[in-house]
Amino acid sequence: MASSYKDEDGHITVSGSGAAAGAGGGSLRSKKPENTAFKQQRLPAWQPILTAGTVLPAFFIIGLMFIPIGIGLYVTSNNIKEFEIDYTGVEMSSPCFTCAQNFSWNGTKPCTCSVPFHLDQPYESNVFMYYGLSNFYQNHRRYVKSRDDSQLNGNEESLRKPSKECEPYAKHGNKPIAPCGAIANSMFNDSLELIYNDPNGTKVQIPLTATGIAWWTDKHVKFRNPGAENTNLTVVFQGTTQPVNWRRPVFQLDSDPDNNGFINEDFIVWMRTAALPTFRKLYRIIQRRSNVHPTLPRGNYTLEVVYNYPVRSFEGRKRMILSTISWMGGKNPFLGIAYISVGSVCFLLGVVLLIIHHKYGNRNNAAEISH
Amino acid sequence: LTWEVKANSRHYHKHKQRKSFLCFTWGRYSDNVVRSHKYSLLTFLPLTLFEQFQRAANIYFLLMVVLQCVPAISSIPWYITIIPLLVVLSVRGFKDLAGDLARRRCDSEINSRPCDVLFSQFMTAQWKDLCVGDVLRIRRDQIMPADLLLLSSSEPHSLCYVETADIDETNLKYRQALGATHNELTSHPSEEALGAFNVVLCEEPNNRLYTFRGQLQWQGECFLLENEHILLRGTVLRNTDFAYGLTIYTIVLSVLLAAVLLAIGAGVSSYQAMTKTSFLSALVIDGKPAYNGFLVYWSYIILLSPAMPIALYIRFELIHTIHSKFIGWDLEMYWQQTDKPAEARNTSLSEELGQVGYLLSDKTGTLTQNRLLLRQCCIAGEVYPMDLSWNPFSSGGLRMFSPTLVETLRGQRCPVTTQFLSALALCHTVMAEWKEQAASPDEETLVGAARELGWVFLSRTRDFVVVSELGATRQYQLLALLDFTSKRRRMSVLRDPQGGLKLYCKGADVVILERLQKNCPHKESNEIALELFAEACLRTLCVAVRSVPEALWEQWSRTLALSAAMATCERDTLLEKLYDEMERDLLLLGVTAIEDRLQEGVPETIALLQEAGIRVWVLTGDKKTAVNIGYSCKLLHPESRLLEWQELREILQSADPQVSFFKAKQTELWATHKEMARAKTSVVLTGPELQAEFEERPEWGASFMSLAEQCQSVLCCRVTPAQKAEIVELVRKHTASITMSIGDGANDVNMIKAHIGVGLAGREGGQAVHNADFAVSQFRFLQRLLLVHGRWSYRRISLFLCYFLFKTCGFALVHIWFGILNGFSAQDVSAESSLKLPELYKSGQKKELSSPRKLITYLLYAVYMSLVLFFIPCGVFYNTDYDYQTMAVTVSMAATFAVTIETKYWTKFNIAALCVSVVMFFICSRITHSTRLFQSSPADYFFLVSEKAFIDPMVWLTALLTAWAAVLPSVTSHAFSVILSVHNKHKIHNSSPPPVELRSRFARGSSLRRSSYAISQGAGPGRLINSTTSIQRAEVLKEEKVST
Repeated sequence: MASSYKDEDGHITVSGSGAAAGAGGGSLRSKKPENTAFKQQRLPAWQPILTAGTVLPAFFIIGLMFIPIGIGLYVTSNNIKEFEIDYTGVEMSSPCFTCAQNFSWNGTKPCTCSVPFHLDQPYESNVFMYYGLSNFYQNHRRYVKSRDDSQLNGNEESLRKPSKECEPYAKHGNKPIAPCGAIANSMFNDSLELIYNDPNGTKVQIPLTATGIAWWTDKHVKFRNPGAENTNLTVVFQGTTQPVNWRRPVFQLDSDPDNNGFINEDFIVWMRTAALPTFRKLYRIIQRRSNVHPTLPRGNYTLEVVYNYPVRSFEGRKRMILSTISWMGGKNPFLGIAYISVGSVCFLLGVVLLIIHHKYGNRNNAAEISH
Repeated sequence: LTWEVKANSRHYHKHKQRKSFLCFTWGRYSDNVVRSHKYSLLTFLPLTLFEQFQRAANIYFLLMVVLQCVPAISSIPWYITIIPLLVVLSVRGFKDLAGDLARRRCDSEINSRPCDVLFSQFMTAQWKDLCVGDVLRIRRDQIMPADLLLLSSSEPHSLCYVETADIDETNLKYRQALGATHNELTSHPSEEALGAFNVVLCEEPNNRLYTFRGQLQWQGECFLLENEHILLRGTVLRNTDFAYGLTIYTIVLSVLLAAVLLAIGAGVSSYQAMTKTSFLSALVIDGKPAYNGFLVYWSYIILLSPAMPIALYIRFELIHTIHSKFIGWDLEMYWQQTDKPAEARNTSLSEELGQVGYLLSDKTGTLTQNRLLLRQCCIAGEVYPMDLSWNPFSSGGLRMFSPTLVETLRGQRCPVTTQFLSALALCHTVMAEWKEQAASPDEETLVGAARELGWVFLSRTRDFVVVSELGATRQYQLLALLDFTSKRRRMSVLRDPQGGLKLYCKGADVVILERLQKNCPHKESNEIALELFAEACLRTLCVAVRSVPEALWEQWSRTLALSAAMATCERDTLLEKLYDEMERDLLLLGVTAIEDRLQEGVPETIALLQEAGIRVWVLTGDKKTAVNIGYSCKLLHPESRLLEWQELREILQSADPQVSFFKAKQTELWATHKEMARAKTSVVLTGPELQAEFEERPEWGASFMSLAEQCQSVLCCRVTPAQKAEIVELVRKHTASITMSIGDGANDVNMIKAHIGVGLAGREGGQAVHNADFAVSQFRFLQRLLLVHGRWSYRRISLFLCYFLFKTCGFALVHIWFGILNGFSAQDVSAESSLKLPELYKSGQKKELSSPRKLITYLLYAVYMSLVLFFIPCGVFYNTDYDYQTMAVTVSMAATFAVTIETKYWTKFNIAALCVSVVMFFICSRITHSTRLFQSSPADYFFLVSEKAFIDPMVWLTALLTAWAAVLPSVTSHAFSVILSVHNKHKIHNSSPPPVELRSRFARGSSLRRSSYAISQGAGPGRLINSTTSIQRAEVLKEEKVST
């Protein structure tokens, strides 16, 4: 190895630019790196917000875009009519106080209570009826996972052998629970009825639609009853048991076969767990019947509650919400306000930057150009 | 002396042959097979796994996989984590395997090299078949296959010359056989005689290269063996037709193996460097607080594992690899003449290039080209420039010359000039056959210069030197050779041209000038010339002559013969005195000025690096003459004060080193104020001093370093390879900075391995490059390597890390906010994370990844962003019927947008990548949320949400708002900086540096710099060349017989 360089000794000296032909000549493949922009790291870098000329308009434009959007959202949200009533029964005066106090899981006779309320303005279009829960951590990590999606998708095997995720609500006795898991076990089971107290004295029950409240994908893809379509659900679910807290088995949730078993929409809605501890879930839809009368006229109503669902143990609250909806869903002033404030902040920053630019920027800009 | 070697008796050694099975070895004498490979077929898998799981990161990921396998706490299927881990493991494993195979190939190449072994007669065998006790015949230019005892050689006196490029500086060294063996073998040159040497007793194999103790028992007598008799493995036989040697050590602990051990050490240290980069993982493991909710805790570890995801690891590797590729691709670091691009051999250090605080450089071959040139000479008071710098291909011989000088010479007009050249051609120890290299490069240069001018040194015998003077061949009788030593700094030759006796002397100016005869002509002009040459940082030598009266010679030579025969200790002083007597009344002929040519761009590079705040130390094996180089390469400022060891020692001894150091600087006349003094103080040390002191007082290390830190530069002379490494360690120990060493030869290997090492792919063997982390072809490429690539990759990686921290913190914090809102299903998490943040910060500091302020800013920003990313959607979805999956999609959408806006540098690749990533986000969401996947595996793909979420205007509006709000601070600060245009980036950092004036203005006339006759060896071989009777006697004296 030491001798190898000697022959070239005379050549290895100083070279000016390195342009001199190499000793290897053209025949050998040179190891000279390629002169491409990427390899030489000369890719033209482009900073889109480089100059004051682009930065300032950006701030103004975004600010001016956000503020109208925010206003639009806010107005839309304000046009939505919403009525909310808490029927938990915490206070002594509350009609549901007794029910709340005397709750027991295996009470045979359901406790009912009637909550009167008054709507100040008529609700014109379709009205959505929600139940709302507070302080209910439906997003608890282990709670959220405590379900078996295969079972809910109609997998026979999972029906008989629920996933471990469902523990400790996978089996009761020796029988598998269908539907298994903590979510299903804690399903909201109050039933709510709405009665309009007509000024002329009659009580009119408001018709509530129980279907169409779940997502299409959930109803048709995610949730499926086990067995073939036509089989009797009672047979299909034989050998399983209902969740511990349920009063009736899953195949008796509704009389309509398209809304029974796992594809019961109340059940599906419940199974789509909420993001935050205070949430609402769609309960019923009050369809608009005629073009002449409002869906819910102004006046007095009574909410008939079959009080099954205990929330006192975790200091939760139960609410019933009536709301019209718009393209943006329910009433939601937050987004509008957020848009307005972010837009204004943007705009203000733009102004501040503009001032700074005018005061200090010019001199430096000249320097920048010279580079 | 327990190591026993019997010549030519394989059976005797065979049964003690070292054998090994697995990790057990027994027996003493090993075979001569190089085994630098680590793995065999069986051991590869366990070894590589063992090595890889020494990395904390890998253990951590394994833990993650294990945890994911526990269904109670897993959040994603286990195979999602194990696949990347497997990929990482297998890629690294393959890398190791490839390296090992390459080593194997290299080994087998070495092992199968041929050599001549004596089995009753010489036969060719392979290196690996050698055995202790074999007698070998080494031919010219062959490499020693093992450590040999030189028995005899083809040259007179059984001298032979070896090149030790692989062990230390490239120099020819001479070795000489014992007189006894030499005599025996030259008188009866037969194979039997070679095999007849009985027993060699010597020390056990060790790695001390420069000492050897042993004895040869032969014919009932016992001879002492020294290092001079040993031919080390890996050295190359030069200028000698053949040499016979007895194998005494085979591979076991011969030098090369020590190098292999070092290589393993380097592997370990580079592994340590690797683990440092994965500090985050250690943090996650170490940072666990006392926990109560065991499962919850572990599941949060998993959930928060994106804070140190395997992705980070992979991306780090990827970025490093790409950076190393960029280094290799850089055209500006491509060296045309050897067709070598720069090379990053260790990919994991590229960001440390941007943090180098100390650069320790070798001198010979690194700063200089190791090619001396006679640049000027002053003959009879006239300066003849021999400026050849216009000719880049000048090889050291003189091609063009001052025409006036040629004229003078051809006309034989000036006797001084003729004598000057005669002196050059005669007064040296160069052997005629040494075409490539002489023991002293200076002499080689001078003889070469004389040759170019017509005074050709033809040959040398013991008593005669044959010189062709302008075509006329003359034979000079060599009467005595007063050899060069470092103390005398001069050498002289007595000779007999045609009757007259002349003493030619050349040496350092100080020495020669004080020995001149009175009223020596041209003394003044020569001194001016010396000054001039010194200014130009040239090595100067004075050449002088003396006519010796015959009577004086007679008397002197008698005394010489007498004193040479005396006992050793007194002999040397006596000889010196004698020499001194002879070397007086000299007539100054002229001055030569040799340039130790710097590599191109060295001064500029050093100046630039110093400007960049990098402290440059030069460690060299040479004598203090290196100071000259220090001046010429801008390492030492001409006005800077040199602090030598004595002074430094006093400072260090004083009670308060800082104060006295300051005082020492204050005494400077030109140090008008303190900053100036600080900038212009340099320390010059020598290796032995350094070692002696620091071995005695290790506590000086710290104070020395603190002083050194205040100095402009440090120059360490006469340091051995091991000391070089020690100095690097010293620097590393006492400063937090990253040190980088650069060198080109095998003697720099230790130093290079100590920390970041740069190998100069130069003329010396490839050792340095093989052991280096980076290989470049020219010193000046360091500029680009450090200032451009280092800075870039440091910036990129720190930005990446900040960004990653920011991202993962954001991610983890969103989880934590969510944790708060999902009922504290893990209450210790927020505590853990708050524990985690200061640690992150601290490790950032330690690592100096970026300034703490910047890191905090990033962390705060991460906190802000996570707050925004979580709480805006939270506000929107509060008390609505949106489910958590929709919210998840919204947040991730917002995060994707935010990251897209956040990008600061837009190249077309970037834009493409961003577009792809945004599009991929949607596509992947749709795919993973598709009903088909759900139906095939409902348990894994239960997120059937995007279909509805992507058409929900609320989701879009929320995501856009959130994204914009999240990036608003960064965009604003960016806008601020744009408007105030405080972008340092606008400075073009990689433009060519302002040319630094090559030659500094010389401000003071100090004799310190003038004289620099360097012969990089110890005492010259003159003693051996000169073979008058006295010397022969001296030889006999050396081989003292030792009775056993």
